[in-house]
Amino acid sequence: MPVYYGSKERDASMSVIEVENLTKDYGFKRGVFGISFQIEKGEAYGFLGPNGAGKSTTIRHLIGFSKPDGGQTRIFGMDSFKHYNEILNRVGYIPGEIALPQGITGYEFLEMMKKLRGVKDNSMIKKLSDLFELDPSGDTKRMSFGNKRKLAIVAALMHDPEVLILDEPTSGLDPVMQEAFMELLREERRRGKTILLSTHIFSEVESLCDRVSIIKNGYIVDEFPMSKLKYAEDKLFKVKLKDEEEAVDLKKHVEASGCADCEKREEDTLYIQVNDKNINEFLSLLKEYDVEVLSHEKLTLEEYFMQYYLDDVQFKGVS
Amino acid sequence: MTEIKVNEVTKDYGKGRGVFDLDFEIKTGEIFGFVGTNGSGKTTTIRQMMGFLKPTKGNIEIRGLDAYKDATETKNFVGYIPGEIAFPDLPTGRSFIRSQAEFWKLKDLSFADELVKILQIDLSANPRKMSKGMKQKTAVIAALMNDSEILLLDEPTTGLDPLMRKHFLDILKREKAKGKTIFISSNIFQELEALCDRVALIKDGRIIDIAVMEEIRNPKRREYKIEFLDAEDFTAFKNLPYDFVRIKDEQKQVVLKIDIQDTGMLIRDLANYKIKFISENKYSLEKYFKEKFERIEGNEDDQ
Repeated sequence: MPVYYGSKERDASMSVIEVENLTKDYGFKRGVFGISFQIEKGEAYGFLGPNGAGKSTTIRHLIGFSKPDGGQTRIFGMDSFKHYNEILNRVGYIPGEIALPQGITGYEFLEMMKKLRGVKDNSMIKKLSDLFELDPSGDTKRMSFGNKRKLAIVAALMHDPEVLILDEPTSGLDPVMQEAFMELLREERRRGKTILLSTHIFSEVESLCDRVSIIKNGYIVDEFPMSKLKYAEDKLFKVKLKDEEEAVDLKKHVEASGCADCEKREEDTLYIQVNDKNINEFLSLLKEYDVEVLSHEKLTLEEYFMQYYLDDVQFKGVS
Repeated sequence: MTEIKVNEVTKDYGKGRGVFDLDFEIKTGEIFGFVGTNGSGKTTTIRQMMGFLKPTKGNIEIRGLDAYKDATETKNFVGYIPGEIAFPDLPTGRSFIRSQAEFWKLKDLSFADELVKILQIDLSANPRKMSKGMKQKTAVIAALMNDSEILLLDEPTTGLDPLMRKHFLDILKREKAKGKTIFISSNIFQELEALCDRVALIKDGRIIDIAVMEEIRNPKRREYKIEFLDAEDFTAFKNLPYDFVRIKDEQKQVVLKIDIQDTGMLIRDLANYKIKFISENKYSLEKYFKEKFERIEGNEDDQ
């Protein structure tokens, strides 16, 4: 049974998005099982997990597309399933898999969405279309994957919603567009928007989110503030010395002082983990040696999260 | 030894679309990355290597054979993952893999089985109804199972989640260790960074630059961020003759660049003060290409 880290101690009165003991059981252990989290106003929240872990299921409940088997999801304090219409008018939602109505042009699709959302002001549409160099003239059926994605983004944000719920929004965009979109999100966050971002791309979470949770097999297995990773006080340095003799000697001295953990992986190279509070003691040892390279090996979000992605399901072969 | 030789290849679709004057070689055992925006010409290049398209000008040699004229022959030692996967109408993924095995007259499916286990793929599903990630995994098995010496991979990690991406990249590293030559296009800088020996950047059909990854992974000049505990130490240090990129007075923080041969000097200087932390601002493929881009666009402005 995975460890459950809820966030029940948080003050729920400020929360814009609330997921409370949400359960949806699709059988065969698929679905989500009693998950809870809250997102406060103005907060950007990252939602990470392998394919099939329950990210899209959770999001589809939040948007009110699915009825929970147990528990509840709320946006602005309103039950998602009951107040589906009101919520859609105040939320921008980008789905994971985009299905556009066929036989119409991109223009017609945007006009349709404008009517649906009651959008009078074209400024957001103009801004987004320019940003993404969107060409909405073609038939939606013949559009490339990336172009469909751009259209979905414009449709989701045209009414300048207070809350953004984004399910892998950058998949299919090329790197330049991905970066443009992330810059847009950072700007929206500065404007006070509340954002839920489900993604596989760790660097996106890194550059945008305040908090992050990890979902696996339908359970939330970890939740923590991003600052915990960004300002890691334990740092891993790869230190290349003049020769093996120096490496052995430095290792001996570091271990004797107890200021850092040391591991020798190559002849002349040590991997040394130092906490910031011991950095001065460590440097005063290090200054006696001929350091050729001092490389800081950062623990990326990706490395941190990989442990949660590891799985052991066996699949049947070909022969 | 040269495995793939691209000789001044142009494929002109008109209106500035296509690829122009591509000229590079890929050595035996090398992993060569190919990065660029959508529409920049990555797929057009790979499809010419596969012999699906005839270059307007120039030619491509695969192990001395002409990629277009001798396309039937080159298939015997080339494995390929297409950018957009279209499966034939077969009931299951398993039957698709088996039909591919027949095509190669491949008897031993143990490598395919091993890949199925690593990539955790359920082959009982209908390939046309599979999710994008599942299709991608099936294509990976079809491309690799023949143990081909050359792999041409067009954005092979699209649709894979991070764990599967990691497994897939580990598989490629193992294939490289076996001596395979790999050409891989991608949208994701980070995955090419850790994997490739060289990476070419293509923009508007032209190769802008080919980066040697070793120089990016282990740069000769590095950038460090240092924060001091005391104001006096901070003031004393920032007056030393270092190449400071930024100085933040409020935080008592400096960012500086040094050549690696001066690392010892920096450590000895820092040992004289009380610092809060030192960290490195890592160089990356993305930063490298961004600098290149800015230089090129800057030059265009000058003209």
